[in-house]
Amino acid sequence: MNNEFIRISLNEILFYFTRAGFGVNAPIGLSEDFARSNVWLAENGFDPSSCSYFALDCLDNRKSSIIANFSDRNTIVCSDKKYLSAFQASVVAADWITSNSNDKLKIVNVDSPFLVLAQLGVNLAENWQVEWSDDKGDRYLINLKKNENWEIVSNSVNLIEHSKGANILIKKLDFTGVDNNEVIKKFNTKHCRENILQTGVEVKDMWVLVYEYFSRCLVKSNARSRETGAGAGLVDND
Amino acid sequence: MNPLSDLPSNNSMTKNTKSNELILRDPSKVMRLERMGSSFQTRLSFMRTLIRRMSTDKWRFERLISDIDSEGYGVSVYAAHTPERTYSLVAFTQSIPNDMRTDRVIAEVWDATFSLYDGVPSLEDIEYLSKHTPKQEAGRFRPSELVLARANKSLRLFEHIASSLSNGEQPDIDLLASVGYLMRTTAVYGSGKFGCADRAKLHDREECKVSFHIELLAVYLIRWFTIDLVETIAQKRGGKKAVKLEYNISKFIGVGNSTGLGMAPFLLKHPVLIHNWVSAKESSLGRVRSINNPTDYSTEVFLQSLKQASQHIREWNVEDEEQTLRIERLRVEVDKLEYWCVTNDILKKMSPWDIIYKFVEENFSYECQELTVSLLLEPHGELIDELADTMLATDGTVFDSNMQLKELTNILNEHYSWATKIDFSSAESQHHFWYYSEDKLEPRFGSIDTDDGVEQEMPLAIAREISDLHNKLKTFSNTMCTGEFAMRYPQFRHIIRRAQNTAIRPYAEVQDNLLNKSMRPLDLLRFKLAFFGASKFDPKSDLWTRISMYQGAPLPKQLNDKDHDNWAFPIKPIKEIR
Repeated sequence: MNNEFIRISLNEILFYFTRAGFGVNAPIGLSEDFARSNVWLAENGFDPSSCSYFALDCLDNRKSSIIANFSDRNTIVCSDKKYLSAFQASVVAADWITSNSNDKLKIVNVDSPFLVLAQLGVNLAENWQVEWSDDKGDRYLINLKKNENWEIVSNSVNLIEHSKGANILIKKLDFTGVDNNEVIKKFNTKHCRENILQTGVEVKDMWVLVYEYFSRCLVKSNARSRETGAGAGLVDND
Repeated sequence: MNPLSDLPSNNSMTKNTKSNELILRDPSKVMRLERMGSSFQTRLSFMRTLIRRMSTDKWRFERLISDIDSEGYGVSVYAAHTPERTYSLVAFTQSIPNDMRTDRVIAEVWDATFSLYDGVPSLEDIEYLSKHTPKQEAGRFRPSELVLARANKSLRLFEHIASSLSNGEQPDIDLLASVGYLMRTTAVYGSGKFGCADRAKLHDREECKVSFHIELLAVYLIRWFTIDLVETIAQKRGGKKAVKLEYNISKFIGVGNSTGLGMAPFLLKHPVLIHNWVSAKESSLGRVRSINNPTDYSTEVFLQSLKQASQHIREWNVEDEEQTLRIERLRVEVDKLEYWCVTNDILKKMSPWDIIYKFVEENFSYECQELTVSLLLEPHGELIDELADTMLATDGTVFDSNMQLKELTNILNEHYSWATKIDFSSAESQHHFWYYSEDKLEPRFGSIDTDDGVEQEMPLAIAREISDLHNKLKTFSNTMCTGEFAMRYPQFRHIIRRAQNTAIRPYAEVQDNLLNKSMRPLDLLRFKLAFFGASKFDPKSDLWTRISMYQGAPLPKQLNDKDHDNWAFPIKPIKEIR
């Protein structure tokens, strides 16, 4: 991975990631929420492209699917025997917590679990705990507290935004169960957002790949569309 | 002389209104393309409210740098000092080939390019911007830059005024009136475009929290820059012989703008914001129509505004045949309205504003109806100006997953009958599609019969999506929740969220099929531009228009004038007699 980066705005994330979702044929409603999740990640100082490229790539290569259903009252699985796409898992999770205040939800085999957490953050979820172990065996516990405070508890050396293929458990916040060896990283989204608005969002090499998915929503230009599709002339002296 | 300028500045008025009887126009009346495409600026329009803020808060303006040659090429910096902070327009001017001067997004060079900087830029900042601002979309910007813009000269007017002033003469007023501006902007980008500051950075700033105030501050400074530039060039050419523009002539110079399809998707993508804009305007109209006994001040302002508007539209001349016919009819109707008001003593009756509105609605064109709305609001600042602060949005639409499908169906029946009645099996109803071109992401409006790209259609087919959802819901249990339904059918999540929003924000939706063969994007453009405060709409086709901005508005040194807020309907100035 090279260390070159550019800085983009939150609005650019919203614009490009919505259309990148569209570029891998995700429905526009899911793509909009996917983009909002990425804005939340960016507000918290993460490079959204490094997390979301995998979700985009899985959908594009049919390694994941947005077809989901409840296998029992508290478990969501992908009906297609693939990864469950974070595009769908994240909105289902966000919808579920609005009506289930004391229950648990398990979401099986999600391609990019951090995006599910991000969607809960977008929805200002409070007093919820999100936990998963991924395909590398790394365990992450995220506590969503009040007033946009949240924390990651993990002893993994791998970046959480690269975590893949996880069974996610969402339940009410439980302050027990933190291993003494685990590191706690704390965030306040509001505070982080204020900083990001002054600096812009740093995106690295995966951004180019996200942009490629975005560019699929663009239509090739030709002489006719240049002349008739957008009004104005090609020379406008007056 | 502005005929409104002699009116008393204390516009205290009797708040003699019928309590709790606001008459609000129905969204099905307001949000139709034909009416939207007849919109006029009002005193709530963003340019108007920004000028009032500048005057009230005593903003100071200052040229910080003018490093230009005898042709006007170089760099300039103009600052606006608000009570809290300073904003600076950094302007770069250059010579460009005439055959590369285009108003389109796909242009690659411009006579002038601008960045609005948050604060006072250092020399390093100006150096950075000199490498990026002239490239516009191909440059890269930072959160310290709030707005990016560019403009091209009106060659004939710019040269005429530079030449006249350098010879010690004032410009020809008729030529000036026929164009109205020295330069026209061809894009004004804010809100995080190309790395610029996000809108959220400004949310807690009183001076620019209302929609588009920061972009329109940039435009205001651009207007001042163009006038200063032409005077500076004249001075360099003519030396002692040169003169500056007379007070009222400089005030009559606005800044132009060419607007194309980029504005149309904006309206569709920001339903909360659009509702808030329209709701403020409609609430204002409702408050005014509820007044039983108007003050003498308000009736006097109304009549004088009517006369000035009459003159204004006599000076509004365009090449477009359809708009010309509309303007000609409007001229006749405005004269009839004035005659009717005076001969029938309407303003001395109870509830005259309501009587006037109803008369106009029953007898005159949409152009005249919407002009009348503007005229009715004009004298009532004390009653309605507070609503300008509601014309913004900090929240987006929210998906209510717990709503039962029964309620969703009711929403469609109540708010979307205009869409569910459309027959989407007809070719005409799906004739058009909207898309982004790979040419600098230029938004375009294609025809299914002739253009490629329907697979990449922008999701703006609101009516068709509603129709599909309506049909789908017929086969489902009423007690299912939308969350479960959307999990099974995620293709409907977008339109469900939109419909749920419309139930609480009824002015959010354009109630026409934007894919229909007869659809004119121009109507959407005029609607939005009127909210900005634009005038002299000059359609060049169904896809784009030229307009004037800030024509008649006070320049920085005129902001303390008594009549600083009376520039709704600018008319030709008269040269001073020597």
